[in-house]
Amino acid sequence: MFINTFKRAATTAAAAGVAVALSLGMATAEGGDNYPEKPITMVIPLGAGGSHDLNARVITSIIPTYLNQAMIVRLTPGAGGQKGTQEVANSPADGYTLLFTHNYIDMLQQHVENLPYDPNEDFIPIARINYAQIGVVVPADSPYQTFEDLVAAAKADPNSIRMSHSGNWGALFVPAAQIMKARDISLNLVPYKGGGPALQALLNGDADVTMGFPSTLGPLIDSGKVRVLATAGAERMFDDVPTFAEVGVEGDVGFMHRIVLAPAGTPDDVVAKLTEAFANLVEDKTFTRMMGRLNETIDLMDGPEYQKLREQQNVAYKELVKQLTSQ
Amino acid sequence: MFEQFITGFGMAMRLDTFLLMGAGLFGGMLVGALPGFTTLMAMAILLPISFFLDPVVGIPFLLGVYKGGIFGGSIPAILISMPGTGAAVATSRDGYQLTKQGKSRKALDMALFSSVFGDTASDIFTIFMIFPIAFLVMQFGPPELFAVLLLSLVIIAATSGSSPVKSLIMMAVGLWLSFIGTDPMGGVERFTFGLFDLKSGIPLLPMLIGVFAIPEIAGVVIRNEKAQKLATLMGERLTRMEFFGSFRTICRSTVIGTGIGIVPGLGQVVAAMMGYAAAKNASDHPETFGEGDLEGVAAAEAANNAVNGPTMVPLLTLGIPGDNVTAILLGAFVAQGLRPGPQLFEEQGATVFAILIAMVFANLMFLVIGYLSIPFFSRLVMIKTSILIPVVIMFAFAGAYVFRSDTFDLLMLVGFGIFGLLAKAGKFDVMPMVMGFILGPPMEYAFGQTIAMGNGDSIGFLFNERLFALGLLAATPVIGFILWRRMQTVPSD
Repeated sequence: MFINTFKRAATTAAAAGVAVALSLGMATAEGGDNYPEKPITMVIPLGAGGSHDLNARVITSIIPTYLNQAMIVRLTPGAGGQKGTQEVANSPADGYTLLFTHNYIDMLQQHVENLPYDPNEDFIPIARINYAQIGVVVPADSPYQTFEDLVAAAKADPNSIRMSHSGNWGALFVPAAQIMKARDISLNLVPYKGGGPALQALLNGDADVTMGFPSTLGPLIDSGKVRVLATAGAERMFDDVPTFAEVGVEGDVGFMHRIVLAPAGTPDDVVAKLTEAFANLVEDKTFTRMMGRLNETIDLMDGPEYQKLREQQNVAYKELVKQLTSQ
Repeated sequence: MFEQFITGFGMAMRLDTFLLMGAGLFGGMLVGALPGFTTLMAMAILLPISFFLDPVVGIPFLLGVYKGGIFGGSIPAILISMPGTGAAVATSRDGYQLTKQGKSRKALDMALFSSVFGDTASDIFTIFMIFPIAFLVMQFGPPELFAVLLLSLVIIAATSGSSPVKSLIMMAVGLWLSFIGTDPMGGVERFTFGLFDLKSGIPLLPMLIGVFAIPEIAGVVIRNEKAQKLATLMGERLTRMEFFGSFRTICRSTVIGTGIGIVPGLGQVVAAMMGYAAAKNASDHPETFGEGDLEGVAAAEAANNAVNGPTMVPLLTLGIPGDNVTAILLGAFVAQGLRPGPQLFEEQGATVFAILIAMVFANLMFLVIGYLSIPFFSRLVMIKTSILIPVVIMFAFAGAYVFRSDTFDLLMLVGFGIFGLLAKAGKFDVMPMVMGFILGPPMEYAFGQTIAMGNGDSIGFLFNERLFALGLLAATPVIGFILWRRMQTVPSD
């Protein structure tokens, strides 16, 4: 009795095994029908411990539920994000190598330097996971009570106000430059190695103003150590703080979009499967809870929709770089 | 405050806290011991696990990984002359010589005891002095950082080798190598010859393994150098006498390391080198440093671990992470509903104290875990040379590669290996080169920031606002000259 059951089970298992093996073989021959049949690598062109790394750790610990395959994070920092980006650009367009990056590496760098790839031709967006919204911040004892105070002071004495940021052409530098352009002012932009040191420079008096994301600013705002003068977007983040739109800085300014890209030419059915997996991911309760704990928002945008935004960014950044570098 | 401390003490005394902390310590040590795998990677991968644990369990778990990983890095540095990070370079200097003399066990024991002492002392100091430290941290900006880094390089050049001229030449080479790549301020490419691979600069890990490990491997292979000795001895454990013989050095290095931990942006590399240089300078037998002196291991290890306590302060008091390790910890804190910042102590004082106290206990626990694991690790050098050398070569290449999976790094490894061999033949010390290479970029960055802050009037800016930095800059040549004279009067080879 027992032996019979065992035999039957064994036969079923063997049959299933053959079926799986066959289907695997066929899939390799035909393309992406059974995608994904091996782990997917997600390249991050940034260093360990940054916000992309932390976001990716959460994504990759949940998304296997919806793809039935593991997703592996590979950190490839270097050359301001170009190293990892190039690696994915050169990878086969089979959906097994994805890039997790942000809009400044993606769309801005092409206007600053000669890149070994073409971001417009070599990549297609799969999903925008979320974005981080920036704010203009001064210390509590700053003489600038409002954004207009800051603009007036900058107009009165150009370049005398020090603004700390997280590195040239980075997520704090670009919106600062865009504000300067929109309001025709000039600040002394001093680079720091990351947002943390830039914020510390503000608190120890080395800088007069900086930019920051709400996730890192929360406790400092609550304790009254810093004051927010304006926040990105058209909707207010704080009831009594104006938005960039209200102070005359229009457009996609001050948003860092965290995006997943794939090499151009990735088959449509593979893209569809990935799109579906990300759509399921953002509905996952564990995922939303873990992201909530990191103080990150979730605001999924699918590939085609983000592509429109990407094209606008391309135009806006081109103009910005042209203006900044021609001075 | 005191009540919170007592409550926190009670909160930390949990079995699961200790179990997971122990697991973190052991796992971190294994990861840290593998060249090419960094503690940072291990922490980032394990971070999501901490989300599901209680704060007084999850955060000590991550801290365990961190502390275990730092010690783990000194294991290959001592046993096979393969420092996986800049912080282990100074340890490797005397540690590997001790291994060659058949004293690897003593070297590992000394590394363990001095790191645990340095770490514990600086953690306790941090717990009691957290607010004064928080105040001091705020006094340092780019001009001060630049002045301190320049002084560190001068001290390293003056005290490292037997010939200061050779040291300076090697340091200049290191500084020049650090210029290769994209200029950090202006974004201009320098010395890249149009090669994309050089655009992000020369990678550190292949350089470290190349100049420190390859010449040693080659030495064993070519001259069959001391192969038998390596294979038959792992030596005895450290005696109490030997530990207390270095106790003054350990205390001095702990103070130096803690002080350097307070300056944002300096870190473990500078601490280890300064601890080492100070010990050599104070010693009545400086000529034995670099030849296998237990004090050299103690000086470097106590100093680089003493950095840990103060680096937590900006995170705990302001919610600002100063480096990537504290950034991951910030993620863990936030995920636990603890928002590090000015109010953390008011709102969650007991929990914070519980975590800090768990840190101290993590050190004590590591003493036991480390002590029990050292015989296992030191057995490594007892493997037959014909097997050990191929394994070490594999680790050298794998370590240089896994860090960013780039075959270009393997070419770099071979190139630096050949350079290391030539330097050894010409009796040039590679240490000043590596230090110039590691400390050059942050120094250049701080210089650029200072110029930017001055907005066209850098001298006026320093005179009006930064007298401390200016004073330190003025004193640097004098300090360098005094140290150089002192080293000259000591008989050396």
